[in-house]
Amino acid sequence: MELIDILKGVELFRGLSTEQLSRLAAISHSETYPADAVIFSQGSPGDKMYVIARGEIEVRFQDHKGVAHSAIYLGAGQLFGEMALLDQGERSASVIAVQDGTEVYAISSHDFLALCQADTALGFIMMRNMALDLSFKLRHRNLDPATGL
Amino acid sequence: MIYKVSYVVIGGEYPGSIRNETERPQVGSIVQIGRVKFEVTEVQEIIPPRDDFQFLHATVRPVKTGGSH
Repeated sequence: MELIDILKGVELFRGLSTEQLSRLAAISHSETYPADAVIFSQGSPGDKMYVIARGEIEVRFQDHKGVAHSAIYLGAGQLFGEMALLDQGERSASVIAVQDGTEVYAISSHDFLALCQADTALGFIMMRNMALDLSFKLRHRNLDPATGL
Repeated sequence: MIYKVSYVVIGGEYPGSIRNETERPQVGSIVQIGRVKFEVTEVQEIIPPRDDFQFLHATVRPVKTGGSH
């Protein structure tokens, strides 16, 4: 499947034209991980966000006592790593590939923000969609007793 | 249609999942979250659909394994 076809199936890119999707595809880089590979670690600097093309990842975090918790699993079409990209803070959790051959598309903060500034219509749509994705995750969190809320 | 599904495990002892599905989950269908299989017990719309996306919340419970003979 072509990258643009994959991007069309991701809510983050909903509302973008084919030309805008092509520009995004040009700054997206495929990365493939084996099961149990660490994609990034809690506390590390965050300079990329990721879209899952295939497979599944687990989000884990350590609380202030150093106890590890599994927070959520994310599958195809989902976005992760966007918090550090938006607020430029360190990674709030670790992300581990669950399945062999988990494929993600990485978009660097520098390239993404440059594209949003060059095409402000694209930037508006992407920021709106990122806000909607974070809203969906919050709704999930509110419903999930595993979060301890 | 793409179904963006929030899966939540009954009891809260196992984390849930968010993923896109090409088919709407049905009560009784089996999904794998991480390395564990679950049975869907309830599906509801979480927010109104937008364009080609529907947003669903599904409650799941662990699949009961058969006893040994």
